[in-house]
Amino acid sequence: MANLLLEINNLSVAYGDIRALMDVSMEVYEGEIVALVGSNGAGKSTLLKTAAGLLRPQAGQIWFDGHDISHMSTKHRVDRGIVLVPEGRRLFQTLTVLENLKLGAYLPRARANYAESLERVFDLFPVLKERANGKAGLLSGGEQQMLAIGRAVMAHPKLVMIDEASLGLSPILTRRIFDLIVALNQQGTTVLMVEQNIHMALNVCHRAYVMKTGHIVLSGTGEELLANVDVRKAYVGERGSKL
Amino acid sequence: MTLIQILINGILLGSMYGIAAAGLSLIFGTMRIIFIAQGTVIVFFAFLVYWLFVKAHIDPYLCLLIIVPFAFLVGLGLFYALFLRAAALEDKNVSLLIAVGLMYLIENAILKVWSASPRGINFSYQGAVLAGWGLRLSWVRIGLFALAMVSGLVVYLFLQKTRLGMAVRAAAEDMEATTLQGINSGWVCAVSFAVGIGLAGVAGVGMATVYSFDYQYGFTFALKALVALSLGGIGNVFGALAGGLLLGIIENLSDFYLSIGWTPAVTYGVFILVLIFLPHGLFGKRGVVKKA
Repeated sequence: MANLLLEINNLSVAYGDIRALMDVSMEVYEGEIVALVGSNGAGKSTLLKTAAGLLRPQAGQIWFDGHDISHMSTKHRVDRGIVLVPEGRRLFQTLTVLENLKLGAYLPRARANYAESLERVFDLFPVLKERANGKAGLLSGGEQQMLAIGRAVMAHPKLVMIDEASLGLSPILTRRIFDLIVALNQQGTTVLMVEQNIHMALNVCHRAYVMKTGHIVLSGTGEELLANVDVRKAYVGERGSKL
Repeated sequence: MTLIQILINGILLGSMYGIAAAGLSLIFGTMRIIFIAQGTVIVFFAFLVYWLFVKAHIDPYLCLLIIVPFAFLVGLGLFYALFLRAAALEDKNVSLLIAVGLMYLIENAILKVWSASPRGINFSYQGAVLAGWGLRLSWVRIGLFALAMVSGLVVYLFLQKTRLGMAVRAAAEDMEATTLQGINSGWVCAVSFAVGIGLAGVAGVGMATVYSFDYQYGFTFALKALVALSLGGIGNVFGALAGGLLLGIIENLSDFYLSIGWTPAVTYGVFILVLIFLPHGLFGKRGVVKKA
């Protein structure tokens, strides 16, 4: 088996009195695409935000590449190679495409690989090269998602966490973004993705976890989950689910 | 010729408002508050220039070399001591209230140290005048204009051409997304605050060369800078500078054609009209001030 890259142990997170994650454990191995699926409010985004260091865990640990990063700042996590592409892209709209990419490579380790990373991003997303000097806010929805992923790639990461890449995109564009995520993964970058588009996510991922109300309720390979009766009933549109 | 003289005087006078407004704009960008203590901070630096001049006989323009770096450090110190935690809060009123408290603290410190009487400095070339083409322009006011232009340019180059400046622009747009790039957004906020206070240092030197000032003058000045900022539109250093120049022209026109007594009414009348009809200012970009 490949190296364990991200290990989440018994993680609990709360917003004030509201518990968002309860005793969640999961793993991501080097080279995988892991999907985190489930309905709205299941805690998927909370999990990614906590892994990125935006939220503090109440209990549990997050291990990344052999280090306990539970209490590290976001800066140090990014420096170790774990980056988040946030929900809604969150680009710097008034800055140019190139400036957005430069900001992705802000830390010294990423800056040392700037030229190589930029080539890689332009290779994956040629449209960004054409638009390099245009404002990020003027890109189309699909291009904005490409830039958001490209900005994360500029950090020279080991693990890219992507929150809702398909948000606001047509099925065709979603398909295209997913293909690009697969291409990114084939270049050696590990991916942890949160998705509402469960069918498509389960099709491209190696393994997936199903979340419900702050718990992980199921896990398995993409094919296993696609074949699972409860998953089909709950999320792919068939009736009478127990999930 | 009178009108041209008034316009030029207005521009020269408005330079001060422009520098102050540029500082407000920068601080607003990352902290999302109107830093109401800005005027009082400017007056504080003017008092320091007064001291350097009276006690050490340092030329006021030479004071820039001392005051501006000092102001930058004061800015960093103030940010880390007072605003670091408040700036991270959703509720911006906390930062605003700290700024109000800071304003009264500085006012009363000035009162204690320098008393309530107005101060000003008299130096050898203060009265020097550039005369020609029927115009008479005071050199210190031209100096003020030059200070405004140079500091505007320096801030512009910092924001556009440096990595840290790029991070400041990013943080002004989306603080959390900036953090996600591995950028220490607390430091970025501290630097943009410190640059704003550095501009207050420049304005303090300018104030000392032209005006007489007392401990209470700062608040009025901050309000004028706020009017300039509303004219220029938030989120653009040159817009803020231009807003300052415009306000200077408006005030000088009003002084001459109406009366000095009417000028504050004109100033704040313009303020209200701009807020009602041009909420983005004359040069501001729509949508720059979006919710983070």
